[in-house]
Amino acid sequence: MSKQGYGLVILIGIILAVLTVIEYYMGLWHFGAALLMLVAALKAILVVYFFMHVSRLWKTEEEH
Amino acid sequence: MQLTSLGLVRGIIGYFVGLVVGMAVVMISRLALGMSAWDQEAGWVGGIIFATIGFMLAVGSMTDWLKWTRGVETPFHHGPPVGKPAWTRYFSVDYNHKVIGIQYGVTGFLLLLIGGSFALVFRAELADSGISFLQPGTYNTFLSMHAWVALASILLGVGGMANYLVPLMIGAEDMAFPRLNAFAYWINVPAIITLMISMLFGWDSGWTAYPPLSLRGPVGYQMVFWAIFSIGLSSILGSLNLIVTMLTMRPKGMTLFRMPIFCWAILATSIIQLTATQLIGLAFLMLSFERTLGMPFFNPLYNALGENIGGQPLLFQHLFWFYSHPAVYVFVLPGLGIISELLPVFARKPLFGYRWIALSSLAIALVGFLVWGHHMFTSGYGEYLRVVFMISTLLVAVPTGVKFFSWLGTLWGGRLTFPTPMLFTLGAISVFLIGGLSGPILATAATDLFLHDSYFVVGHFHATIFGGFVFPFFAAIYYWYPKITGRMYNEMLGKIHFWLMTPGFWVMSLAQMTAGTMGMRRRIADYDPALGVEPVHMLITIAGFVIAFSILLMIYNLFTSAEVGALAGNNPWRSRSPEWQIPSPVPEHSYAQPIAVVGEPYDYGLAGSTYVAMAGAGDD
Amino acid sequence: MTAITTGVHAVAAHHEAHDDYAVQLRRNRLGLWLFFISEAFLFGGLLATRFYLWGDTRPELDQAIGLIVTSVLLLSSVSMRLAETAMEKGNRQLFSIFILLTAFLGLVFLGGVVIFEWGLIPALYQGHLTPWGDKYGAVVFAMTGMHALHVVSGIVFIFIVWNLARKGHFSPQRHWGVESCAIYWHYVDVVWIFFYPALYLIGNAVHLSH
Repeated sequence: MSKQGYGLVILIGIILAVLTVIEYYMGLWHFGAALLMLVAALKAILVVYFFMHVSRLWKTEEEH
Repeated sequence: MQLTSLGLVRGIIGYFVGLVVGMAVVMISRLALGMSAWDQEAGWVGGIIFATIGFMLAVGSMTDWLKWTRGVETPFHHGPPVGKPAWTRYFSVDYNHKVIGIQYGVTGFLLLLIGGSFALVFRAELADSGISFLQPGTYNTFLSMHAWVALASILLGVGGMANYLVPLMIGAEDMAFPRLNAFAYWINVPAIITLMISMLFGWDSGWTAYPPLSLRGPVGYQMVFWAIFSIGLSSILGSLNLIVTMLTMRPKGMTLFRMPIFCWAILATSIIQLTATQLIGLAFLMLSFERTLGMPFFNPLYNALGENIGGQPLLFQHLFWFYSHPAVYVFVLPGLGIISELLPVFARKPLFGYRWIALSSLAIALVGFLVWGHHMFTSGYGEYLRVVFMISTLLVAVPTGVKFFSWLGTLWGGRLTFPTPMLFTLGAISVFLIGGLSGPILATAATDLFLHDSYFVVGHFHATIFGGFVFPFFAAIYYWYPKITGRMYNEMLGKIHFWLMTPGFWVMSLAQMTAGTMGMRRRIADYDPALGVEPVHMLITIAGFVIAFSILLMIYNLFTSAEVGALAGNNPWRSRSPEWQIPSPVPEHSYAQPIAVVGEPYDYGLAGSTYVAMAGAGDD
Repeated sequence: MTAITTGVHAVAAHHEAHDDYAVQLRRNRLGLWLFFISEAFLFGGLLATRFYLWGDTRPELDQAIGLIVTSVLLLSSVSMRLAETAMEKGNRQLFSIFILLTAFLGLVFLGGVVIFEWGLIPALYQGHLTPWGDKYGAVVFAMTGMHALHVVSGIVFIFIVWNLARKGHFSPQRHWGVESCAIYWHYVDVVWIFFYPALYLIGNAVHLSH
């Protein structure tokens, strides 16, 4: 049973914050919709994988 | 016994209390904001939302969940309610999937009768030209109500078959989430009440409720929007439950490709219901908000410079058909699954191409997401889209063809017997063939431009729905009737039902298509006798009444046979499916011991093959 | 002898209960994720509406507010994950702190939407969009409204879970209530991750004359 520590959560939070700032400036400089949605998708994948621990769906040995 | 001890009665009281409270809340809020107290749009929307919640609370479908929020454990109670007659459980919240399946099925059947009677009313009007007794506005209401009531009946009928059969077929004790299952059934009931109230005010656009017409018509639209929203919620929650049940509760040895074929059909159906339903919910919600608050999603709005700063009517059609086309596969896939399920039993032969059938259901479901634009060939959207949607639509014929050839392959060389369920199965194939062959004509943009909104579409649609749902549904009712009641239906009456209904339907469907090619429009109350369609209309009306009469025979048969029918025994059809290896009617806990699957499901007539091993019975 | 048999039975019964929980947990997780997939089509429909009606344009919204509420929601997600980690490690005090912090940040986000984006309290902030004014107002209110509805339900969920945890209902091994609440909250955040660029960043800001 691997438990993510508080540190990893903070780290992912910082990465998400950085991506949000990048996104903001991309918006100011009129990057296209596709690129902005790509960054959004990247953020969503980070949240889904690290925060929502989607892999628990197919890992059965763990218990919570 | 107190009448209010029935959940249904409490729910209806809760509905009307909620309606009054909701309207009062809206009126008080409006007064607080300095507006006039009564606005019928806002008043009814608030009323309906509160009424639906009131019903669900009063019927008791949320009681356990509310206890959970306070940390109270809620153990299951099995069997009929204590100190009350056994029949009362069908009128109250009950968590047994067999009870819920019957509730779904009976409610669906009742709606089929109501929706069918609406059709008889306006068919009588159409029998000859000129307005006889239905004024155009009332005619439109009946026509539109016929559609949604019948569609709701199909959704409930599908839910009935799925809820009753899927856990039994995979040897599960119940559904994965029994409370959610009950909730998903009961939310239909306030929705139906709301839908019926809409008739008091009328609505006249046909079931598609296209704006701008649906934004201008009477307040009855609001009830339709919210009723369909609730029924959609039921679809979503029910299909979620079914998917989890099928993916996690199969017995030892039952791989996905050893599931009964009906379960594959339900899996494909559930994928559509889980996802696409959200879009019609959203579209109707947006219509409701545009009517109530004036949010311009669909109505154009021009500023002083002549720019459109409002919405676009075509957006609605996209959102609407993104659900409503796949929804047609929701209606027919379970029925096609029933056909595949029943044919091997009555042909005493293995199902031809099991894997191909299983995957064709999934293929139809997935391709179904890409074809919605074929309903919009004449809408004025980009012309290149016509080609795209034409090709994707014609692709649907491939997996559907797989099914037809599999059915033929199963029948070929079989030792056929023809009891009523088998007759209805074969009738379903014949009717679905009519519907299927008229499909490509409408899928081809060039021909659709001429046939769009004509009676040809009506004929095509009813043939697919009768072939894909009504006939297989009736086959399923006759087939599983002995398992549900423990008694056989009257075979003679069943056969009369079939021989009245099937030719009746052939005539009706082909005549509708004929009327369409002669120039009959789809939704009008009157027509020009110079078109020459009057005799055709008379024929359709007569055929419609014949079908209605045959269904009355069925009801009589089902009611009387429950009392006087011969005892059926465990397995009158010599089926291999697990639900036929246990007593009829099915006991409260379906399977005394967990079952195990040791072979292929449809190896009928193969010596020494076994599908399920029932624990305890394996020794002899 | 009797004692041993009883002991064996007790172990077997314990195993059964243990298995039941694990089995039901698997179903619950799958069910919740299927619900997310379903909801994705609802929010996807709203996004499709935005691109269909707005195309390459967007209304002039206050960029500072957009960035602030987005950051607040992101922070709330981090704090929610910290709360869940605390529960997994059995630190109840830390759990309470973080989950209440999450609810607080959720309320701040909601306030940002209602007061600043919607301008519902003109004394505090004068909004310039109305739901009935034009397609920009309509879509902004529809998207943020549907999202806010989910935020509100998430906050209610948080308070229920917090209260149950206070009464000692969860353990480091068994806390589906906490887990479901947490991933629901993250899901609401994921939705906003897509809504934020769609509302604030994509396309050219236009100012319409009415």
